[in-house]
Amino acid sequence: MRWTFPLGAVAALAVAAAACPGGGNGNGKLTGPVPPLSGGEIRVDLPAIPAKIDMSTSAPSEGHSPDKRSPILDILKAENEREMAALKKQKDPAYYLAYQLVEQRVVNLDAEGGALINDSDNVDRNLDVEVRVGTPELDNTRALAEDGNSLNAPLTRRGVVPFGDDKQALTNALWLETDRRYREAVIALGYVRQDQATLKNRHPVPDFSPSAPEVYVEAPATLKFDKQTWIDRLKRCSAKALKGQATRGTCGIVFQLNTVWLVNSEGSQIQLSWTSAQLSVSVGVKADDGMNLARLEQRFGRTPADLPSEADVDKMIASVNGDLDALHDAPLAEPYVGPAILEGRAAGVFFHEVFGHRIEGHRQKDTTGGQTFASYVGKDIAPEWLTVYDDPQIRTLNGVQLNGFYRFDDEAVRARRVSLIDKGKLVGFNMGRNPIKGFDKSNGHGRRSPGLPPVARQGNLVVEVQKSVPRTDLEKMLLEEVKRQKRPYGMIFTDISGGFTNTSAFAPQAFKVNPVMAYKLYADGKKELVRGIDISGTPLVALQSIRAASREVETFNGVCGAESGWVPVSASAPSLLIEKIEVEKGFIPPDRPPVLQPPSIRKEAP
Amino acid sequence: MKRALFVLLCGVVVAPSALAKPGGAPPKKDDAAVGPPSKAITDDILDTIAEEMNRQFTQLEIPGAPKPYHIAYKVTEVDVNDVSASLGHATSKRNRHFVNLEARVRVGTPQFDNSNYVVPQADELDGVSAINLPLEATPRIARRATWLVTDAAYKEALMQLRAKMQARSAGGTRSTDVPSFSPLPGTPAPKDAKEPKGDRPAAPLPGGGRPVVSETPVLVVPLETLDEIEVRAKAISSVFRDQPAIRDSRVAITSYLERRWYLSTEGTAVTDTRRASGVVIAATGQADNGQALSQYFLRYGTTAKDLPTDDELKGESKKLIEAVGALAKAPLMDSNYTGPVLFEGEGAVGLIRASLAPHLGGTPVPEGLNPQEAKTFGGALTGKVGQPVLSTNISITDDPTAKTGGGKALIGGYKIDDEGVLSQRIEVIKDGILKTLLTSRTPSAKGQVSNGHARRTADGGAFHGSATNLFVTGKNGVPRAQLIQKLIAAAKARGLKYGLLIRRLDDAAITSAPEFSRRELVQMIKSTDQQLPPPAILAYRVYPNGKQELVRGVQLGEVPIQAWEDVLAVSKDITTYNFLAAPESQLQLRLTGGTDEGFVPSGGIESGIITPDLLLKRLDVVGTTAGERPVPIAPKPGK
Repeated sequence: MRWTFPLGAVAALAVAAAACPGGGNGNGKLTGPVPPLSGGEIRVDLPAIPAKIDMSTSAPSEGHSPDKRSPILDILKAENEREMAALKKQKDPAYYLAYQLVEQRVVNLDAEGGALINDSDNVDRNLDVEVRVGTPELDNTRALAEDGNSLNAPLTRRGVVPFGDDKQALTNALWLETDRRYREAVIALGYVRQDQATLKNRHPVPDFSPSAPEVYVEAPATLKFDKQTWIDRLKRCSAKALKGQATRGTCGIVFQLNTVWLVNSEGSQIQLSWTSAQLSVSVGVKADDGMNLARLEQRFGRTPADLPSEADVDKMIASVNGDLDALHDAPLAEPYVGPAILEGRAAGVFFHEVFGHRIEGHRQKDTTGGQTFASYVGKDIAPEWLTVYDDPQIRTLNGVQLNGFYRFDDEAVRARRVSLIDKGKLVGFNMGRNPIKGFDKSNGHGRRSPGLPPVARQGNLVVEVQKSVPRTDLEKMLLEEVKRQKRPYGMIFTDISGGFTNTSAFAPQAFKVNPVMAYKLYADGKKELVRGIDISGTPLVALQSIRAASREVETFNGVCGAESGWVPVSASAPSLLIEKIEVEKGFIPPDRPPVLQPPSIRKEAP
Repeated sequence: MKRALFVLLCGVVVAPSALAKPGGAPPKKDDAAVGPPSKAITDDILDTIAEEMNRQFTQLEIPGAPKPYHIAYKVTEVDVNDVSASLGHATSKRNRHFVNLEARVRVGTPQFDNSNYVVPQADELDGVSAINLPLEATPRIARRATWLVTDAAYKEALMQLRAKMQARSAGGTRSTDVPSFSPLPGTPAPKDAKEPKGDRPAAPLPGGGRPVVSETPVLVVPLETLDEIEVRAKAISSVFRDQPAIRDSRVAITSYLERRWYLSTEGTAVTDTRRASGVVIAATGQADNGQALSQYFLRYGTTAKDLPTDDELKGESKKLIEAVGALAKAPLMDSNYTGPVLFEGEGAVGLIRASLAPHLGGTPVPEGLNPQEAKTFGGALTGKVGQPVLSTNISITDDPTAKTGGGKALIGGYKIDDEGVLSQRIEVIKDGILKTLLTSRTPSAKGQVSNGHARRTADGGAFHGSATNLFVTGKNGVPRAQLIQKLIAAAKARGLKYGLLIRRLDDAAITSAPEFSRRELVQMIKSTDQQLPPPAILAYRVYPNGKQELVRGVQLGEVPIQAWEDVLAVSKDITTYNFLAAPESQLQLRLTGGTDEGFVPSGGIESGIITPDLLLKRLDVVGTTAGERPVPIAPKPGK
């Protein structure tokens, strides 16, 4: 399984995925499990001062407003009960039935070079029906031992459902989709049973964990914005962004109003409603050697009013333009192994990729997965001063709104803080309702985008350290480490655009992330921007190579894509000093810049 | 370039007067209220693109590689309002509005160039590249877009040419002295033509061809609004409420316009606008044995005024409900049948769509395709010009200049085709003899020139000649009742107990529903014969006493072109039918759940067929139980 993590840039998905064809990069250096951390090669005395983290949280039950309950919940509940009464009596009985109806209004405006290029404002509804047939111990969702094409998996499709709350119209859609999904589940269970009958080693862990019923009603949110004001702002923004080396300068917003109604046969009835806003400034150019160079800055908020002011957007523009011009003139880097600093946001992305995806519970169960962390529960995998948890209940961290906030997951389980690494020891996994050995309950991390089956995903990943140094000292420590390792320079990564991590047992258990802004730091303090590299390695070694952390914590907000679709996430971490990091040459597409020079921007004289 | 996301092809001539009143009568005052011209593509933008085109044409060159010998741009502005509704409530309501610039670069020579060749394992290399333009005129962006898109298309064209040369020298594909690109035909200038502006060459070109210059914006009646459409769709879909026999139902209404501009280095500079509105009603049910049943109704016209009234559409909806209910109780076609088949109304249209129209194109199959894929291009009439191919009582004309047929508005026409060639009325078959095929500028024979029918793109990048408004006429037409007697007589003559009457063939673009599992869909891909016509979803056994018995599970066998040599008789009654020909095959549509998963089908090539009922002497028909599935465990709500 591979993931891409473009962190908010859906457009970057293609780039990230295209750059990493085939899965895995063959970089595996380990032939067996890594022994627990024994102290490392160097010892650094770090002050016992925790990195600064102030947060605000909101419990799932906060804001429960029973008087705002939509009749849609009653319609879903009635049909769910009617269907279950019939389906549980069948030869292949259904034991669980869930309806999730999602309504999304998505406003999307993009301007390029001063002109509006995209203007859409659409509302869609999608119905997801999950039917489980058999028993929680063995049901239709059990993976077949060999099913490379996922033929036994539910078909991904849009579940058409009418707008409004008309009982007949909605109930007919529910009935149709239940009939289709039940039939699909019965067919799948037949293959599961056949598969199990011929397997020597059968998996003893159940396929599904029950959960307590939840009843929660959130008042309907409203999306407020002045369209023309935003169009004008985006035009101005993109006109400013198209300068310097950039041949593309785009500014865009995505505003969403989401409403979710979720009912299941356990008795859960949940109504959620929230808005979100996203602003992006993006510039790009092709380097002279054909490499696509791009810089993207994004900001997220709960409402359009939370987005940066025009003055702040100007700073974002200046930042991406400055970076792009510098990248355009930067030399290609050569492969490197040595010490490096991952700056706050880059460290957050690094943790999300290298650790976060592997700690998603169901991956420890996948028979074709590498199950990297399954045997490390209770063992040291990181420095004892480092703690990692995922908590979707956090609304703000150090004043920044976190993108991975939610109250209930897509499996009707309330969001909970889950401790993943406690003082260096692996203690937990992000769990959906697919149990694994030793972790038989969901902790509210079953997530999806509409139309796909939910799996365990990250929400707000937080890396906390009990010992830290000021960021400026981290750079001094890097130079000392450069000297100790007799390297010509160290590296500093300030931005990572995304990457992937391979968890399939067929390929090395390796990761690869794509740093966009990478600097060489020489002994004399000189910094040199370089381009065209990837960071690769294996997760256990990477975690054990962390030597120090900064007091300052940064947050990266984004959107993460995996098998259950795109979900909003965040990753917060201090800057980290890594003793050894491996850098290899990145993918440069076999292209060349346009044959002719750009046309004059001004109209030519007749 | 991969096929564009939108497949709204070909322009229809909708000059204000013609629009308001098909047939050319003076417009009513309120009908003449045309909308504004494009805000995105103005004279300034076209000048800018032309300037950049000239710069590219004169300067674009990679050392050691050929320069472009022809560059063409197609700018498309699409504005669509779509609403879908079920049981009185909208399921989808959306506007799509975008502007697209497509560059098409040819390298080599007209005798042998890169085009119409599918590069193995790289079918995206076709010398075509596209990019979106702003929704408001912005010369700076248009200039830059033209620069980038031309450069990308040029590089693709070079790779395609190299691969094509390699394939020919390796003997992998045909070697021929047929040119790759025919010269512009020497057609007369259109009525609204004016002298070309700027530095574009004046017509005609050496060799007699004449680039068309026609730059006056064609203004059309504004779209029906989303709210208007929604009200209609909801009202009509309400008819399906409280109908126990109906499993699922959908009413979809669309209103769209497509403005087009063509520019080429030959001097072509034309604009055209197409405007259409349509309604689709679909309903499904299930027979007692579980077989899935579907029925549909569709109408397209240039505006909503050409569509039936709400009351008429409600009436049609009721007919669909009755048909599904009757089919649920109808006997299965349980034995094979070989004998006469009468195609009445929409049934005749369906037969022509499936078994005749695909063969009328005169563009060669792209080189490099495997034989299975090549079959989807028809081609049964290739090389048969001058020969008898149809029954002598049948003649066929294709007329993109026609605004009406059988007294109804037609949507399959246009002024200029996708290669900037003026549309022409073409007599394809006269009294059964093949006169000519529908051609683009990619010829299939030496000396063949375009007759203005380039409207379908395919892998390899070339435009293919395709039907537009297809007029099928028959001699000695008889009243419908008499034709049924002829069917009975023909069946009797073969010793059959009954004759078969088909009134509707399925259209997977309309009726596909997500009823299958992933495993079943894979099975269907493996086992379905793509050459078969769609299932006949409204078919009757007609007994000697005149009794018509509805049957279900009727599947025509392959209808070879030779079957058209025995058209026993035709009706006096004429059916005029507009539709959008989806670029995907029926199987693909079935597998993907139709067009756009429940949205309105506003993608496809506008087409019209005008035909009498057709009685064919002998076809193979089999009974099929395809689509059987268990009846739902829980009864339909409210049942």
